[in-house]
Amino acid sequence: MQDRDAAEDVVQDAFVKALRGLDRFRGDASFRTWVLRITANEAKGALRKTGRRRESPIEAAREVATADLDPAAATALNAEAERARAMLGMLPEKQRLSVSLRTEDGLSFREIGEITGSSEGAARVNYFHGIRRLRELME
Amino acid sequence: MNANDCGAVRELIPDVARRVAAAHGLAAVEAHVATCAACAEELALVRALHASRPEPRPELLLRIERSLRFDRQTVQRPWWGLTAAAVAALALGIGFSSAPGSEIVAPAFALETDEGWTWETGDGLVAGGVVFDELSDDALERLLAELADDAGGE
Repeated sequence: MQDRDAAEDVVQDAFVKALRGLDRFRGDASFRTWVLRITANEAKGALRKTGRRRESPIEAAREVATADLDPAAATALNAEAERARAMLGMLPEKQRLSVSLRTEDGLSFREIGEITGSSEGAARVNYFHGIRRLRELME
Repeated sequence: MNANDCGAVRELIPDVARRVAAAHGLAAVEAHVATCAACAEELALVRALHASRPEPRPELLLRIERSLRFDRQTVQRPWWGLTAAAVAALALGIGFSSAPGSEIVAPAFALETDEGWTWETGDGLVAGGVVFDELSDDALERLLAELADDAGGE
């Protein structure tokens, strides 16, 4: 999700659901993975409700740390990062989730598979297809 | 790792971008990308994604904490967890029976959830039975009358 308010609502709802369903946590995945899976499902539901699979605002993106760069290089780097983030939003859902969870959160392919409801191998394939597609879009 | 090890390098790129790769992995990736334009490009892309990842606002944690506390206080208790006074007032005020063995009929403004019933107030808040514990019998009756009026008026 790229709308910050909507994303934060989803996170809040996911934590409430996780708390309510705590007795259903079986420990066969890590607690982090379990909460992330609930969050991913909530996000899917929220996007389905609003009828928007892709949102335009990218307001939640963080400014890249550029303290050691000259202003022109810093501007170029931020523009590149913003572009990469916009392109990420254009990927199919599972590729986008795999790339996002691997590059931003550092999750393993096994964890990503647990969250997206696919195998470790499928998560790996989705990640590399997503990265390849992103590189094509960035060219 | 040598110049042909693109596959192994690409596995490590996210960890290198996040600066959590082991020292030997980091050195190997750096040596490889110095000679491989494709992997260098991929590393730059992953670094850009990682560096610009969305950051939650600090108040989000407070919001979550507040909603969890509210949820624990309001939704968890089933109808038989109400105080005797609340049950009596509910039975009196909105006419459902709590006699053993009888069917419990939800009031018009009750919402059925996985956890049982919750009650929606006029301002959109959803309150479970536990909030009634804090009310006197008189206050509870007034609240129930207001809720019943709201529900009837819709």
